[in-house]
Amino acid sequence: MENREFFPGRESGEGRTGTPLFRASSITKIYHQGTQTEVRALDGVDLELFDGELAVLLGASGSGKSTLLNILGGLDIPTGGRLFYREDELTGADEDLLTAFRRDSVGFVFQFYNLIPSLTARENVALVTEIAPDPMTPEEALELVGLEDRMDHFPSQLSGGQQQRVAIARAIAKRPEVLLCDEPTGALDVTTGITVLEAVEKVNRELGTLAVVITHNAAIASMADRVIFLSGGKITSIRGNERRMPARSLSW
Amino acid sequence: MSVMRALDRKLLRDLSGMKGQMTAIALVMACGLSMMIMARGLVVSLEETERRYYGTSRFADVFCELKRAPLSLESSLAALPGVAAAETRARGVLTLDIPGMREPVDGMIFSLPEDRPQRLNLLHLKAGRLPAPGSRDEIAVSSGFAGAHGFVPGDELAGTVYGVRRRFRITGIAMSPEFIYETRAGEMLPDPRRFGVFWMNSGELSRALGLEGAFNSLSVRLSPGADGDETKAGIDRLLEPYGGLTAYDRGDHPSAKLMRDEIRQLKGFSVAFPAVFLAVAAFMTSAALTRLVKLQRQQIAQLKAFGYSPFSVGAHFLKFALVPAVAATLLSLTFGMWAGRAFVSLYHRFFQLPYLEFIPDWGALAAGIAATAAAVVLGVLSAVRRAASLPPAEAMRPEPPADFSPSRLEKMGIHRLVPPSFRMALRNLERRPWQAFFTALGLSLAAAIPVLPGAMADGVDYLMEFQWSLAQRQDATAALLEPGGPDAFSSLERLPGVLSAEPFRAVPVVLRTGHRKWRTAVTGLPRNPELNRLLDRDGREISLPPAGLVMSEKLADILELSPGDGVTAEVREGRRPVVRTVLSGTVSDYAGVAVYMEIDALRKLLGEQGTVSGAYLAVDSLRWNDFLAEVKKTPRIASVGSTAAVLENFRRTTAEMMGMSQAVYYVFSIIVSFGVIYNGARIALSERGRDLATLRVLGFTKREVSGILVLELALLTLAAVGPGLVLGRWLTEAVMESAGSETMRFPVIITGRTYVMAAVTVLFSSLFSFAVVTRRIASLDLLGVLKSGE
Ligand SMILES: Nc1ncnc2c1ncn2[C@@H]1O[C@H](COP(=O)(O)OP(=O)(O)OP(=O)(O)O)[C@@H](O)[C@H]1O
Ligand SMILES: [Mg+2]
Repeated sequence: MENREFFPGRESGEGRTGTPLFRASSITKIYHQGTQTEVRALDGVDLELFDGELAVLLGASGSGKSTLLNILGGLDIPTGGRLFYREDELTGADEDLLTAFRRDSVGFVFQFYNLIPSLTARENVALVTEIAPDPMTPEEALELVGLEDRMDHFPSQLSGGQQQRVAIARAIAKRPEVLLCDEPTGALDVTTGITVLEAVEKVNRELGTLAVVITHNAAIASMADRVIFLSGGKITSIRGNERRMPARSLSW
Repeated sequence: MSVMRALDRKLLRDLSGMKGQMTAIALVMACGLSMMIMARGLVVSLEETERRYYGTSRFADVFCELKRAPLSLESSLAALPGVAAAETRARGVLTLDIPGMREPVDGMIFSLPEDRPQRLNLLHLKAGRLPAPGSRDEIAVSSGFAGAHGFVPGDELAGTVYGVRRRFRITGIAMSPEFIYETRAGEMLPDPRRFGVFWMNSGELSRALGLEGAFNSLSVRLSPGADGDETKAGIDRLLEPYGGLTAYDRGDHPSAKLMRDEIRQLKGFSVAFPAVFLAVAAFMTSAALTRLVKLQRQQIAQLKAFGYSPFSVGAHFLKFALVPAVAATLLSLTFGMWAGRAFVSLYHRFFQLPYLEFIPDWGALAAGIAATAAAVVLGVLSAVRRAASLPPAEAMRPEPPADFSPSRLEKMGIHRLVPPSFRMALRNLERRPWQAFFTALGLSLAAAIPVLPGAMADGVDYLMEFQWSLAQRQDATAALLEPGGPDAFSSLERLPGVLSAEPFRAVPVVLRTGHRKWRTAVTGLPRNPELNRLLDRDGREISLPPAGLVMSEKLADILELSPGDGVTAEVREGRRPVVRTVLSGTVSDYAGVAVYMEIDALRKLLGEQGTVSGAYLAVDSLRWNDFLAEVKKTPRIASVGSTAAVLENFRRTTAEMMGMSQAVYYVFSIIVSFGVIYNGARIALSERGRDLATLRVLGFTKREVSGILVLELALLTLAAVGPGLVLGRWLTEAVMESAGSETMRFPVIITGRTYVMAAVTVLFSSLFSFAVVTRRIASLDLLGVLKSGE
């Protein structure tokens, strides 16, 4: 809880201020394969992400989407460049600070759900609410994603889409300022995918959470405020949508 | 084939990731095997040495002591059926005056035939030569005694034989198959500073003992295939008129018996205890490999898809059980042989053996390895079979998440009280009850194993307290050369410094029950002895009934007698009465076995009045030196045993003999408890790695995440310690029971300190393992778990 002081300003979460939440400049991530070859997963990324917006990251496989998202979420450390979250620099932050950052400010949703199989839906969410400074109750979070009648089911008793919605509930229950989703619909069919996206959309709208969604699927891009295109570890273009399409109206 | 080789490479890589576990398994296995090599090797070495030594030294098969028979009887003895060779001799006691030694030193002295060579019980000379035929003052001295005093051939000795002071010249240092254990009659431990064995020419010794033209000891070697019982009966018949005690065979020979009991004790330690270690190692290997098999599910499916049989897949995995097994075998060969040799050199200090070399028991080693391997195979096979029996298509998918349901404990309402992380731990345990059970069993054994070395020390402490502080409270035991009348007792009572004296009368007897026969001595004691007290199991005094016998519990066991049963006692002294009497009670004692009777009842049986064989004495410690000085001047006293000296000797000898095994066992138990817990922790980490990494991603600190895993392990450890201590007690009882013998019993005494030590050993190993696991959690691959389903 004391860690909140490292991330002041969360009270200003409602409404846009024009100041970016994330500021990334010249971020690189280089993997060395042996002594000779190197893989430039990210090759000089400059990016600002704003409070309350919904951004979609599009790009081919291997273009560096997950790498960028993981760096934003404090899961990975860039090789070069600087990254700020509000006034705090994440590049060069130590392990404890990054953990506190993830704990207090970031919600994650992954392609493989990553639920704890031995805990029920409610308990998977409770796991996070118990360590968060100002969480909603697990019940509220599950209601938000439409799973109020599945709270005491174990992951193995839920469908893929339901599991992913539990993962979203788990991610948002702490009222994070940032929701990072890496291919949340990757393993789901269209209808299930849409319910999941609706949950993301709802959280973004109702809680004003900055949501960043990775996808291969260009159709999903139309629900975003901004679409960021990645290729070969570089941002090739950023497109603002005039009007966000509701997730419900998408199809692919 | 190339697939197999690629897979081998992959598995090797996985194994190298399991280095810690493999090391732990190899170490535990090595402990069990070393112990086995050590203990079984000692058994084999002692048995082999005994066999060889008894053979080459022509150790007699039958022995008989008597009062005095003419040498002319020799030819009749040699003519008895079954007798291959007979040798008569003179046998006596002597006391020695050794400059610088205040305490009395005594010994046994035997005649050597003038017409050498000896025919039986050949002496092995360590130095010098045997007394020259015809010499009058030359003696050979036993090696233990000579070693303790630093005597060498050429040294002189002064002593008293049969009341006459004489001087001797040492010509040689010798060993005898009759004194591998160089102990005073009836004692359990060698005390080479205060007791020795001596040999001199028969002419001179017979004269000194008043046995000219006569003998009082007979040794017989049987011809092959002879009926020993028939020969013994013949000897008894011939010697009966000459005060013959009973003929006995090698199995009853004091030194041979002590050897046999030592071997028996070693055997007791060589099976149960190492078996527990090997069982633990087998558990550990199966657990580790089972986990590995699960991780290799997909590869197994591929192999099956390529057409490999489940059998060859299984064999492939089992190859990896070989890695720790081979390492353990090499380690244990090195260490076990080293320790075995160290024990052998320790044995050389207590056993007077011309040679004793460490001979490993390869058969037992092979059996140990085979049993362990079989257990491992059984353990892993079920996992391999399960994985291999899946249709390839299904197996190629990751293992479906397990089916969880609220645990039984939660149905009792516990879940409302505990956080989800605690519930994770509980459910993980409850979902795989068998795995949890086996891990807990391993942990229990880890807690059980240190109980044994602790109990060994506790038992010795208790035994010393019981035997020398509760039971035997005399300061000295004086034995007379010949039984004496009331005047003899009062002369002992009047020795300087004697505060109180308690008479005893000891006579050789043969006890018969049914067809069972037991040679022993009956000791007559006052009804309620104050000094040499008789105690029952709970340390309560036993008073001697006016009629009937009281004997050691162990002897009653051997003879299958319970109080109230009839027994025939044939006295082999004086008028040799034979009486029908009853066993009226038993005493608790731990060293040797004894038979007691009320002293006046015994005297009446013998037709004597007020006779004594000696007395137990309480002596004023301030006048101890005066007492000893006077004793030395009193020729009718054959020996004076000092309780303090016996206690001191016992303490030193057991400290040396047991100290080393105890240290080895204790170190081994620490290795086991650490190995088991570490292995369990690594397996748990491997199974929960994904969940734990996910928690780290969600913002749990390293500390919180380690806490979850540690909680699960701690629950198991805590659950295992209690039953483990109980198991430890059972193990101790089993080992002590099988190691106990007529010579020595080990009370199963386990103090709170031992239990605490065992528990602390396990908890300490747990903490250490937790620390290792915590460090690994810090380096969990957070990104890796997000990339794949499992
Ligand atoms: N641990 C690693 N070691 C080496 N190279 C890596 C590692 N992780 C990622 N890469 C490389 O970095 C590049 C970017 O990977 P990243 O996972 O960010 O791609 P992505 O855009 O998320 O692709 P996908 O859509 O397939 O998930 C790839 O070329 C990948 O091979
Ligand atoms: Mg990706």
